[in-house]
Amino acid sequence: MSKTRKKRGILFRVVAYTVCLLLAILSVLPFWIMFVNATRDTFQIQQDAISLIPSSHLMSNIKILLGKTFDPIKGLKNSMIVSTASTILTIYFSALTAYALVAYNWKLRKPFFTFILAVMMIPAQVSVIGFYQFMYKIGMTNNFMALILPAMAVPAAVFFMRQFMIVSLPLELVEASRIDGASEFYTFNKIVLPIMKPAMATQAIFTFVSSWNSLFLPLVLLTDSDKYTMPIMVSLLRGDIYKTEYGAVYLGLALTVLPLFVAYFLLSKYIIEGVALGGVKG
Amino acid sequence: MKRRKNVSYAKYGYIFSLPFILAFLIFSLYPTIYTAVLGFTDYKGLAATSWSFLDNPFDNFISVFNNGSFRQSLVNTFIIWIVNFTPQILLALVLTAWFTSRRNKLRGKGLFKVLFYLPNIITAASIAILFYSLFGYPVSPVNSLLMKLGIVDGPVFFLVNKAYARGIVSFIQFWMWYGYTMIILTSGVLGINPEIYEAGEIDGATGIQAFFYITLPNLKTILLYVLITSMIGGLNMFDIPKLFMQGGPDNSTLTTSVFIYNQAFSGSYLYNRAAAASMIMFLIIAIFSAILFFLMRDKGEIQIQKEAKLLKKERARLAKSQEAM
Amino acid sequence: MRRILSLLLVVLMIFGLAACASDSTTPAPVEPIAGSETPAPAPSGSTAKTVLNVWSFTDEVPKMIEKYLEMHPDFAEKYEIKTTIIATTDGAYQPALDQALSGGGKDGPDIFTAEAAFVLKYSQGDGSQFAASYNDLGIDVSNKIKDADIAQYTVDIGTNGNGDVVALGYQATGGAFIYRRSIANDVWGTEDPAEVGKIVGPGWDKFFKAAADLKAKGYGIISGDGDLWHPVENSSKLPWVVDGKLVIDPEREAFLDLSKQLKDNNYHNDTQDWQDAWFADMKDAGAKKTLGYFGPAWLINYVMAGNSGDTAGDWAVTEPPVGFFWGGTWVFGSASSEKKEAVGEIIEWITLDTSEQGLQYMWANGTLNGEGGTKDTVASGKVMSISNGELEFLGGQDMFDVFIPANQFANGKNLTQYDETINMYWRDQVRAYTSGAKSREAALKDFKQMVADNLDLIVE
Repeated sequence: MSKTRKKRGILFRVVAYTVCLLLAILSVLPFWIMFVNATRDTFQIQQDAISLIPSSHLMSNIKILLGKTFDPIKGLKNSMIVSTASTILTIYFSALTAYALVAYNWKLRKPFFTFILAVMMIPAQVSVIGFYQFMYKIGMTNNFMALILPAMAVPAAVFFMRQFMIVSLPLELVEASRIDGASEFYTFNKIVLPIMKPAMATQAIFTFVSSWNSLFLPLVLLTDSDKYTMPIMVSLLRGDIYKTEYGAVYLGLALTVLPLFVAYFLLSKYIIEGVALGGVKG
Repeated sequence: MKRRKNVSYAKYGYIFSLPFILAFLIFSLYPTIYTAVLGFTDYKGLAATSWSFLDNPFDNFISVFNNGSFRQSLVNTFIIWIVNFTPQILLALVLTAWFTSRRNKLRGKGLFKVLFYLPNIITAASIAILFYSLFGYPVSPVNSLLMKLGIVDGPVFFLVNKAYARGIVSFIQFWMWYGYTMIILTSGVLGINPEIYEAGEIDGATGIQAFFYITLPNLKTILLYVLITSMIGGLNMFDIPKLFMQGGPDNSTLTTSVFIYNQAFSGSYLYNRAAAASMIMFLIIAIFSAILFFLMRDKGEIQIQKEAKLLKKERARLAKSQEAM
Repeated sequence: MRRILSLLLVVLMIFGLAACASDSTTPAPVEPIAGSETPAPAPSGSTAKTVLNVWSFTDEVPKMIEKYLEMHPDFAEKYEIKTTIIATTDGAYQPALDQALSGGGKDGPDIFTAEAAFVLKYSQGDGSQFAASYNDLGIDVSNKIKDADIAQYTVDIGTNGNGDVVALGYQATGGAFIYRRSIANDVWGTEDPAEVGKIVGPGWDKFFKAAADLKAKGYGIISGDGDLWHPVENSSKLPWVVDGKLVIDPEREAFLDLSKQLKDNNYHNDTQDWQDAWFADMKDAGAKKTLGYFGPAWLINYVMAGNSGDTAGDWAVTEPPVGFFWGGTWVFGSASSEKKEAVGEIIEWITLDTSEQGLQYMWANGTLNGEGGTKDTVASGKVMSISNGELEFLGGQDMFDVFIPANQFANGKNLTQYDETINMYWRDQVRAYTSGAKSREAALKDFKQMVADNLDLIVE
């Protein structure tokens, strides 16, 4: 069309790409520094904490790291148990609850949704004192269940799933399934869940990441070093105060991120495509 | 036909929400009430096992209100939250506009989206350590860069300076969360009926006009969701302030969550004071959420009613067609 | 859906691999809720060993216990140890230990250690109910202490309100000034410890005069103000807290001015102790070379030796400008432990055995893990009298010549159970003052405010 419009388009592209590239560098750089430092020795890091070129001390760092009480395998396993279980519980039960809110016409539906919006505002930290005392009384400290079971009730995830369902779940399908004589539970599992795939994947990333990285509750609830999750181990890494091995510390940090990398890039398709969330509130 | 639909299915609404409600009651509501109760007791000290209510039940609340560090932590929390959230939501909106623009299709936006969320997946402990060495003193990458560029003459002791420390914490929060905010907002835009945009284009709306008159109004609910979740997240900032500088220097990055943790789990084990502080925090968050809801209310409500009507019509049509069958 | 399933599979596989790789005795994630608070019943199988939980803030004591198991195969047949090490950096050790102690049960610590900065909490303060008296552990403690000639301050600190000994240390932690021979030579033409001692002290005036000499030649005297803090802290007369009230001893208050003087005159590299730059100065990786560090024998062996790089052998120890002591580890047995006899055996070996097979002899002579290991000053006078403190790191100097007299400055009179926390607040304020961020008055006022806000103490 007109030349000015074309010019504007080019200008837009230049600005947009520059900003995006800068942000992308900002996103990647810390990871790069972390991985590079994992291959450098303490002296090199003390001389210059940031380098973009890998060095040759990866093996010695591995040795130092394993020589400490740091046990990455144990940490990975514990974090994996907690995060995987929490994620499955969160996405399944949020979807189920959201389905109850979207597909059925029940008397308390509206009040229940308002309730969910309201309790979304109760932050976990507010109740941590009571939660700790409660878990302590029933002997659930040092028990992963104390970290996993609360994942069944995540109001924000329910809200997310509900907004997705409003846009993307054709209720006709549900009707059709009913006519075929399928039970409601069967319909949810076999027909609704597959449609929910993109929303579940996106929510799975968010839930997994936040559960993997959570520090506050595990720090308070777990005292048995065999049960430490990865973030607890990392926060204690700087610990061996008599001799700080920075290369090994960075290696430990890098190790905590790797599994997340794998999970994230496997699910990244859903981030790229995006999920459609409806704008209807109540 | 009708009987079955209206009577026998409603119960599934209750059945399917039951697990959520039970888990919520046990793991969220009960501990919250428990915390509230502890705020009125003398429950403190290492290995304390019993507690009783105080003669003046509001003693803990009064002492928290009079606590200089707590008031400082409130101020810090708000400063850090506003300084990180304002640019975060603006940048996320701009990126959302770019990535969902129908006229100018950016290449590689999938990759960008994936990368922008990346900072969110590193454990806060790692980020804290990383930034701590980035801004170290006297020798650190940032200092040597600034000196090489001739911006400063000698090394800057960033981490004893309150403003710098808050700025760095804010930046970390911003950098970790703008990608998440962008993903949610983009999802909201994808949920907007494309026909509205097409209609806009026919009317000759420019990209910017479309963003302000179509995207933003239709994004209201999702925006509210982002605002509320990020406000809750922001007002409960813990990991980064705790791990980066232990709330320092000089209490300048002490957030309320760190304050609560310090009261309850280190030093003198003042569970009761911490519980009282938690409740005060909860009230503040509730008030802010209520304000947000009120501000974002008006048009949304009307639209909901409209859509509900539409839905009803649709249902009726469906029922009719079924009956016809 | 398939995609999600495949992801779950991958996750499970990673998890499965991890599970295979780690030991199979790890309990399943789902434990019965009931009963997990009560101690586990003794394992019935003949091969199963009883687990002793050891909590510490460094790997020192856990390594000692490993050695003990190695030297006593019959003991090792019955017991194995599980260690939890959490550093005191960022104040992480105490909260975790407190939670484990009050949680108790089978995950509760059987043996735990405490550092001088908070040992009183567990021997006399809020946490004293967790400590078992050595007598209850089956140790004939009063006779053994006399026999081994244990340093009195170690005993004082480890004695609870009822007069029972609940903890003893294995170290003596009198401090010295540890300096670089080559730098002393360059500036004053001598590297002899006796001479250098007269140049840097006694008293802070002489110390600062020496700092001026060093500056003229482009050297710093110490790495950061933290190095100065330990001599100041432990040479003061009053502790931080007297009768539940905060007290600021004049000597400690003067630290504000000493620190400011160092900074304003550029006498140091302005590092923070235990941070990157502080370690870097041990091997000349800092902005300018620095003369030395203040510290007890353990600083030489466990910190400096490992971080010194090429400077090893160029060091020497001499009398500090003011006498002080710093740190030390005390060993406790837990009152709720079900295995008191075994705990007692180990603790006695660490703290009271004066034979050549005892921990302290090997510790003092660096033979714990074979000849040529790190040496340290120990609590037992009897052991010290038969030990040799010559060190390669110090160019062959016998460090005990300096450290044994230094131990007279060690006492428990200026310690409190809150030291770790209060020191943290104090050092923060001093840093804010010296960097010019606030006035001296404001720093003092804010320090008091911090203590009042966070601890259950009276502040006037």
